[in-house]
Amino acid sequence: MTQLTISHVGKTYADGTEALRDIQVRAAEGEIVAILGGSGCGKTTLLRLVAGLDVPSGGTITVGGETLSGTHPAISAVFQEPRLLPWLKVGANIAFGGQRLEAAERQRRTEALIERIGLAGYGGRWPRDLSGGQSQRVAIARALIGHPGVLLLDEPFSALDPFTRASLHELVLGLWTELKPTILMVTHDVDEAVTLADRIVVMKPRPGRVHDSMAMDLPRPRDRLSSAFELMKRRVMRTIDRSLADERPPAARPAGPGGTSPWL
Amino acid sequence: MKAIGFIIPVVLGVAWEVVVDSGLAVGRLMPPPSVLWRTTAALAASGELWTHVSATMTRIGLGFLFGAVAGTFVGVLTGASGFLRQLLDPSIQALRAIPSLAWVPLFILWLGIFETSKLALIAMGVFFPVYLGVLSAIEGVDRKLVEVGRVFGLTAMGIALRITGPAVLPAWFAALRTGLGLGFMFVVAAELMGASEGLGYLLLDGQQMGRADSILVAMIVFALLGKACDSVLVAISVPVLRWQDTVRARL
Repeated sequence: MTQLTISHVGKTYADGTEALRDIQVRAAEGEIVAILGGSGCGKTTLLRLVAGLDVPSGGTITVGGETLSGTHPAISAVFQEPRLLPWLKVGANIAFGGQRLEAAERQRRTEALIERIGLAGYGGRWPRDLSGGQSQRVAIARALIGHPGVLLLDEPFSALDPFTRASLHELVLGLWTELKPTILMVTHDVDEAVTLADRIVVMKPRPGRVHDSMAMDLPRPRDRLSSAFELMKRRVMRTIDRSLADERPPAARPAGPGGTSPWL
Repeated sequence: MKAIGFIIPVVLGVAWEVVVDSGLAVGRLMPPPSVLWRTTAALAASGELWTHVSATMTRIGLGFLFGAVAGTFVGVLTGASGFLRQLLDPSIQALRAIPSLAWVPLFILWLGIFETSKLALIAMGVFFPVYLGVLSAIEGVDRKLVEVGRVFGLTAMGIALRITGPAVLPAWFAALRTGLGLGFMFVVAAELMGASEGLGYLLLDGQQMGRADSILVAMIVFALLGKACDSVLVAISVPVLRWQDTVRARL
């Protein structure tokens, strides 16, 4: 379990484009924090900074008290697309995530994870033989084999059908319960954020900034059909709506605080 | 289904045999298959054919080896380092623009008329496509897969061996096949420039002696050897590239 702190982080690209400004997010040990926002608000940029794939222009990111300066052994990631290595079989792809483990332990965990993600018997198959959902299961197993302190999820369910997405939500929550990594996920799906997160950070665009941070104090497992779930979703949608209203020119804003939300 | 490819050459061969046999054509400049067969048998029986084949194959083998190793090595260097790419690639591209046969007089001056100049010419023919194939394959490696390597803690060497290496293999084999094809083209040029044995020499000898049958036999043997060498490369690549999700892999 590892605490993640993003402190006054900004990112401006070489061409002068400011992607992120003064981002402050803190994820407690074992907490699931969802970064929610529309396209272009810098969600993925933020995750790339935490993954160590990009360097912030300002501010610091600390993991377990250690300031990041590149990739970190305690941080693992699942990307939007599975990114399995096509020349490695399923088992080897999962084992790939355990570079730092001893061979015997890596093998033991690989076998256990293949069972755990429901792909028993698939260890010797090529990634090309898997469906999108199965591939993303393998990517999740690869990310967790090293028991990372921080798991980054970059919209890994966005390209999947609702049935597969729901089953992967269950898988991630199950593995999170067992291993308790701190999870920082980005998504544009309000339903997904309310289902998974302990806290939702709403971002607004141009440049990407934090608009609001909201605790999701619903008990787990969460019932998507419950009124409490529905109320929480509405709260999040209103917050998003306000973040968008702030961005519009005055004439385009809804009249007064009671203006009709396009979400409701 | 593979037999379907034989239909056209067999039909054409039989038809030409019938035409010549019935006296409708003489067949001196285009001998029928029976004459080609007799010439081949005679060359084989005298041992001359094997002398020519082994001379040509030795040149191809060594020239291909030198060219492929050098092309791969320089391609990897320029692909791995932006500095080396900027330093070397413009010069290599300028050299590549010179028609390779234009080097023949210079190679003969520098390296003499014997084997070294021939091998240098073949190696140069193989070098450029292999170099270009390796360099473009490295430049084209999916950034997202490299990021996977970085996130999971691979060093730069680990990424080169476990991500870039496997990713460029398909393009490398394709480049080797192109290089091999050019190697066969250049061995003819090399053997035309003063060899006393080799299939290229057989071609030249056939032209000087007015023996169209010798020329055709040499051409057919070239085709068979080229196809056989290419098949060997394909056979080596199949188990290495069996992970590919391509139309060919599914056939």
